[in-house]
Amino acid sequence: MIINHPLLGPRDAAEFVYLGDAGLIGRPDGMADNAADAFHDYTYLRDNPAGEHRELWYHEQGDRSWLVITRNTLTHDITRVELARDVARTQGRSR
Amino acid sequence: MADIRLSAAPVLGADIAIGDNRIVERDDLALVSVATPQGGDDAIAAALQSGFGLPVPGPVQSSGQGDMRAVRTTADQMMLIFPHATPDAEPHVRQALSGAGYTTDQTDVWMVLEISGPDTLAALERLCPLDVAGFADGAAARTVMEHMGALILRLGPDRFWLMSASSSAGSFCHAVELSYRNVA
Repeated sequence: MIINHPLLGPRDAAEFVYLGDAGLIGRPDGMADNAADAFHDYTYLRDNPAGEHRELWYHEQGDRSWLVITRNTLTHDITRVELARDVARTQGRSR
Repeated sequence: MADIRLSAAPVLGADIAIGDNRIVERDDLALVSVATPQGGDDAIAAALQSGFGLPVPGPVQSSGQGDMRAVRTTADQMMLIFPHATPDAEPHVRQALSGAGYTTDQTDVWMVLEISGPDTLAALERLCPLDVAGFADGAAARTVMEHMGALILRLGPDRFWLMSASSSAGSFCHAVELSYRNVA
C-alpha cells in the first residue's frame, strides 16, 4: 500500500503505523460538567464502517508527522491524505 | 594530577572498499537539529540566512553553503550537518542563529556513512524503499532501511550520505556493505 504524503509524496505503508479513528483528535474538555460521559464516549465508542473511514496514521519511519487518511475499508483505496495538524486547526485547535 | 583528556572516537571507523565502491564513516561531522518554535518560521529563515548564508530547505530537500548542509527532517525541523572538531557544535549553532530555533546536539546519536562508487544506485535500490534514482543532487529524506530508521542525502550522481542511529551502526553498516556485495 502506498500513502501519498501531502509534503513528501508517495511513501510505502511500511514507514507508517496505524493508530485508529480520526475522531481521537477531538479530545473532550476534561473540566466540563459532562466530562465523565464525554470521555466514556471518546474512549469506548467507535463507528465500524464497511466503506469510507477517516483514521490516524503516524509516519514513524519518516518525518514523524501525524496524518488523517480517508481509506475505504473494503477496497483499501485511499482517497484523501491530510496533515493531522491542519485538520485539528480547522476544528478550532491552536496547534 | 593525571592529565585526562577525552577525545571523540568514530562509532565504527568503517572504511570499506568493494570493487570501485567505498563506504566510509564520516566521523568529522557534527549534527545539530534545529526545531522551529510555533509561528517562528520567518525568524528561523532570517537567522539561518544571516548566520550561515543558508536558505531553509523545502520538503525532501537540503540546502548547502560551503561545508555546511541543512537537511529537512520534518515540517518544523531540520538537521544542520557540518565538519566540527570540538564538542561544542550546539552552542556554535545556537549563537549563530541568535536562539531563533530550538537546537539539540545529535552528533553522538547518529553515524554518517559516505557511500560512493559506480554500483551505489544498484545497492540502494535493494536497500532503500524510496526511488533514489529520481533524487536530484541535494535531495534528502528520512526513511527506513533494513528495519532501521535512516536519513539519506544525495550529494552527487553516485555519492550519498546515509545516516542512522549510532546504537545500531554495526547492523546498518553490515546491511549497506552486504547490499554492495550483492550487486558489485
